[in-house]
Amino acid sequence: MTQNDIISDVLGFINQSQVKDTQDETFNALALKLFEYQFALNAPLRDFAKMRSKTPRTVTSWTDIPAIPITALKKRLLSCVTPNTSGRSFMTSGTTQSGLRGQSYHPTLEVYDASMRCNFSSRVMQENARLQMGIIFPSSEALPNSSLAHYLQLAMTHFGTPESRGFITSDGIEFETLYAALRRAEKMGEPYALLGASFSLVHVMDDMKRRGLKFTLPQGSRILDTGGFKGQSRDLSLDAFYDGLSIAFGIPKSQCINMYGMTELSTQFYDCGNAVSPSEKSGPHWIRTRVVNPLTGEVVKKGDVGVLAHTDLAHFNVAVSILTEDAGIETDHGFVLLGRAAGSDAQGCSLAVDEFLKATSGVAAPL
Amino acid sequence: MIERAAYLPGLDQDALEWELLDFATQERSIQVAVPVLSAAEVKVVTDHVRQQSQRTLKTYSTVQIIEVIDAAIARLLDRDDPYRRKMEDLLPVITGYDAEIVRLGLTRYLKTFRKPELLRFLAEDFSNPQILDGFQPLIKGGFGRAYGPDVLAHIWAGNVPGLPLWSLVSGLLVKAGNIGKTSSAEPLFAVWVAQVLAEVDPDLGECLAIMWWRGGTVGPETALLGEADVALGFGSSHTLNQIRLRTPVTTRFLAYGHKVSFSVISAPALDAQKVASTARLAVADIIRYDQQGCYAPQVMFVERNGAVSPELFAQFVARELSVGEHKHPRRKLDIAQQNSISSWIFDEEIVSESCVISDSSGTWAVSFQGEDLTFQPGALNRTIRIIAVDDIAQVPAIIRPFKLLLQTAGLAVPPDALYTLAAALGAAGVTRITALGDMTSPEAGWHHDGRFNLSDLVRITEIEARLPPAADKLAHYAD
Repeated sequence: MTQNDIISDVLGFINQSQVKDTQDETFNALALKLFEYQFALNAPLRDFAKMRSKTPRTVTSWTDIPAIPITALKKRLLSCVTPNTSGRSFMTSGTTQSGLRGQSYHPTLEVYDASMRCNFSSRVMQENARLQMGIIFPSSEALPNSSLAHYLQLAMTHFGTPESRGFITSDGIEFETLYAALRRAEKMGEPYALLGASFSLVHVMDDMKRRGLKFTLPQGSRILDTGGFKGQSRDLSLDAFYDGLSIAFGIPKSQCINMYGMTELSTQFYDCGNAVSPSEKSGPHWIRTRVVNPLTGEVVKKGDVGVLAHTDLAHFNVAVSILTEDAGIETDHGFVLLGRAAGSDAQGCSLAVDEFLKATSGVAAPL
Repeated sequence: MIERAAYLPGLDQDALEWELLDFATQERSIQVAVPVLSAAEVKVVTDHVRQQSQRTLKTYSTVQIIEVIDAAIARLLDRDDPYRRKMEDLLPVITGYDAEIVRLGLTRYLKTFRKPELLRFLAEDFSNPQILDGFQPLIKGGFGRAYGPDVLAHIWAGNVPGLPLWSLVSGLLVKAGNIGKTSSAEPLFAVWVAQVLAEVDPDLGECLAIMWWRGGTVGPETALLGEADVALGFGSSHTLNQIRLRTPVTTRFLAYGHKVSFSVISAPALDAQKVASTARLAVADIIRYDQQGCYAPQVMFVERNGAVSPELFAQFVARELSVGEHKHPRRKLDIAQQNSISSWIFDEEIVSESCVISDSSGTWAVSFQGEDLTFQPGALNRTIRIIAVDDIAQVPAIIRPFKLLLQTAGLAVPPDALYTLAAALGAAGVTRITALGDMTSPEAGWHHDGRFNLSDLVRITEIEARLPPAADKLAHYAD
């Protein structure tokens, strides 16, 4: 089983456009094959699986593949190959655990890109082949290790019209240029797609409010936000956020799509707009999500809160199953994301690990 | 009836806006009403408390105050008292702790605030406690008197029932007007204490108030800190920094940050006769309040060359934790707490290459480390890292780099090792050294985090030795 075999199998599955009766079986078989491949070549994953008595011999269903906690990607390099310069590393922003950053190494972006394009086309572009796009996020040249910058670059390259461009430079958001582009789209009646980090969109809305600006973008326009805004801008409720976007840009909330993605995956989830928040998220046929108890790995009762565990066939080099720290609830067609579960209120005065690491960063190992 | 989690003399409580907090365990859910306070309302209460404490509390003798507290504690120790019944009934739902753990913990804890213990408490900090009542001769000459603040602000944190009582009683003993801000995790205990005190002595009841707001709410917090003469803050470094920024520079701010504690088990405690009880005591410290108190161990150092090896002792600890889960189940954890345990287990197994024993439902976990001596907290909530050491004398060097974060050491050592080890642990930053099994119940009058609970709160006014002779010259009977 070589990397090329795996890549071609995964690409074949991604490109299976219509749903087939045998899809469950194919998904299962391919997930098990990926687990076997990763178990053979990826030492930290193998150690973790063995400690849970999970080996390719004992695992017979994709739901039994041990999900690797995302913290693992901060502490260990999980990869089936030795990283080299021809591959690409995506890293998390590293806001917790005294700056440790999670890493996903992609020996090639062929699968990541195919996954993104296939899914983006059906969930965001829908009937359009290309749209004029404005990106409120730094470019992938500026942030080469950001999976989001790469994602947005792909969106613009493959689905944007030639006038599409990014509006964040090293000096920050180019508000005037952005407003000029929006005004032009308004005047020409051309649908416009505004894509970016949720917190950057909050900054844009705040700036527009200061200037007393409002737009009514043409029908067919849409907004895609991602990442949430905790700690990066003022904090506001999802309803307030989407109401604000809808009023500021004249776009119905049903056309305000939220993307849920992670550096630790190669596939994204979308909702069908945010007329109702929080929205139901779902992914394409090559990713499946379970809502589990993080301590036991067991699926929680439908409707109960648990953490999301994703089995992403496109994540062929790192770990096919990932245990996130995101709380969620299973729904009929996907899940509702409740956000990152961290920093609990109900804590005593015992020092927690995060705070300990912050307080002691720089302290040399004692012995 | 919905409990109101506030005690606000000077304000018409029915005129306030109230918000409901939900608390639930698997069996039961309750709502607690908390006030939505404006800065102006906080100011009304602080003015009231300041005036009342100047008018009445400052005229009480220390012994009178002790008697009021003693009478209130006697009521709370009485299991038929309505307030005690409410505590036993509601605190397990609010905090999620096992009802028996709460009941036993309350009694053990409240007993440390009876009259004899309070006298000891005073004697710890003042060689002559009457210095709080009037000018007393000072050793250096002259006279001195200790004055407590008119308004002492307490910003409490956490979910261990009863913790606010420490600082509240400290404040009362120095005749301070006390205003406490409770945490959202446990907003009721302090309110009940205030109400009982007010029933025992209505005048004293006018000199304290218990408030609530969501942690870090700027308006009311800044108002309280602006009015306080001395402020006490409890919580994480982040919280304490926020409080410090909101405290005027002229106000004394005493910060009690989160701490880490550990236990040390020597080879003699591991012989065949003693090993089972050693494990039971070690685990009692872990189970009581699920390691939420800063005095609970997060790491256990176990000495080699005993009859039972540290590896095997880890199995004993695991067994006791498993028994403990049946007797006193761990409280229900939220997703964030579950996540931190699951990532801790991963770290221990894969990064530290420790051997982890846990039950399939994840209600406890023991990580055994035989090589790496790194001191690092566990994930709390009944998780513990056991580190094998060749000699317990190694422990002080291992913990020394974390000097400012250390608090309690629970020891199971023979007497010949006790004082040598204690001296080295003290030098390394430990502030409380106790017996294994007693870690979660500090004795009356302990120096919290190594500080003086009472004398840190007062200011001393001195009459210099030269003044009485100078006054003599002005006496009508002067020659």
